[in-house]
Amino acid sequence: MNFWPIVLDAMPQLLEGARLTILYSIAAVFFATILGLVFALFKLSSVSILRGIGQGYVHIFRGLPLLVLIFYIYFALPSVFPLQVWFGNKYMIMAGITALALNEGAYITEIIRAGILSIDRGQTEAAMSIGMTNFQTMRFIILPQALKRMVPPLVNQFIQTIKDTSLLSAISVAELTRRGQMIISVNFAGLQIWTAIAIVYLVIILSLTALSSYIERRWQVDQR
Amino acid sequence: MISVKNITKYFGRHEVLKDISLEIAPQEVVVIIGPSGSGKSTFLRCMNGLESVSKGEIFVNQAEITHSKTNLSLVRKEVGMVFQRFNLFQHLSVIENVTIGQVQVLKKSKQEAEKRAYELLDKVGLQEKAKAYPEQLSGGQQQRVAIARALAMNPIVMLFDEPTSALDPEMVGEVLAVMKDLAREGMTMVVVTHEMGFAREVGDRVLFLDEGRIVEQGTPEQIFNHPQEERTQLFLSKIL
Repeated sequence: MNFWPIVLDAMPQLLEGARLTILYSIAAVFFATILGLVFALFKLSSVSILRGIGQGYVHIFRGLPLLVLIFYIYFALPSVFPLQVWFGNKYMIMAGITALALNEGAYITEIIRAGILSIDRGQTEAAMSIGMTNFQTMRFIILPQALKRMVPPLVNQFIQTIKDTSLLSAISVAELTRRGQMIISVNFAGLQIWTAIAIVYLVIILSLTALSSYIERRWQVDQR
Repeated sequence: MISVKNITKYFGRHEVLKDISLEIAPQEVVVIIGPSGSGKSTFLRCMNGLESVSKGEIFVNQAEITHSKTNLSLVRKEVGMVFQRFNLFQHLSVIENVTIGQVQVLKKSKQEAEKRAYELLDKVGLQEKAKAYPEQLSGGQQQRVAIARALAMNPIVMLFDEPTSALDPEMVGEVLAVMKDLAREGMTMVVVTHEMGFAREVGDRVLFLDEGRIVEQGTPEQIFNHPQEERTQLFLSKIL
């Protein structure tokens, strides 16, 4: 069975798909982190309305299956708002990234909240006792310490996001999985192409794992 | 300087402070003693708004910190606080611990802040540890850095919440020495402590707190040598 010729032939296509997979993952994680930070602070707020909003966000977007969320934003929302008219072909990618960001953001909310809560209350009291505002306390004292503890679970979540981008193939976003399906529909070489796709995903994810353990090691040497 | 008027404080249904009033004059050193659970730490923490009061008023330099409209951060930078467990910022070096408030809150330049920080570290005898991180220091050293951090804000009064209780016995002396120096320089201080030697030597006034009330107050001489109240006598007989 001629494995290599088929895989090498498909490689440029697959790598282009891999590039988009990475790009969409980065975009999703970027927005998910912003959502996560905002809603984590909401959930920790002393204002009960904000706490309620934060809780609602997590409940809804952690509770929905990601594929349903993707379909909902891509197929259902346009019947309420003319989104495809506004955004054209780009709406497919926007819907995909939005769905990913909303879903991952719910998990990141909980990661950030747990990280912040893990910092000793005395740190906050000390910061306030020298006259820092709540914002300054969070920005200069709590978050820098919490971030270090959040790295391992955040890396987990980033890996999860990369894998979840494969679901975007269901709305024809041309990421790695979708590219593979398209190639197979022409050459019918399922075994070879799925094997190649699996290996490309593993390479992406293992490189990220290596990068994160490097970062963790460096932080320990620097600041501990 | 600090004026406490009839404050009451509840934790849930438990009344921890019962109608306490107190006037603290500039340069006065007030030492608060009492059994654990008597409310002395809570009382101290009310004086910079780390705890809210249920009833009553507290004024620091004319600013009413118990008023909901008062900007507490503005008041707190004038009130230094030293904690039982030091609470140094773990991710910052010693010098950064002492500069961060000056830069972020007092808006000083980094150079200015570092100059002041080195002066203060010199004062507490830790200039050579400027680049170290808190966890590399002993408890006594950490507490001296914490005092420097509080002093860096040029507070008008310093609150000490059992500053030597978490220290190994051989380190208590170095922290008390720094505090004695401060008192001698005329710093207004409120000190919650179990160090009766310190109270006797440095205190202008000693308050005995029990079950959320000031049972007795007076000069160290009066409280330690001629306590009037039975509860004070009982407490002192147990610890002296």
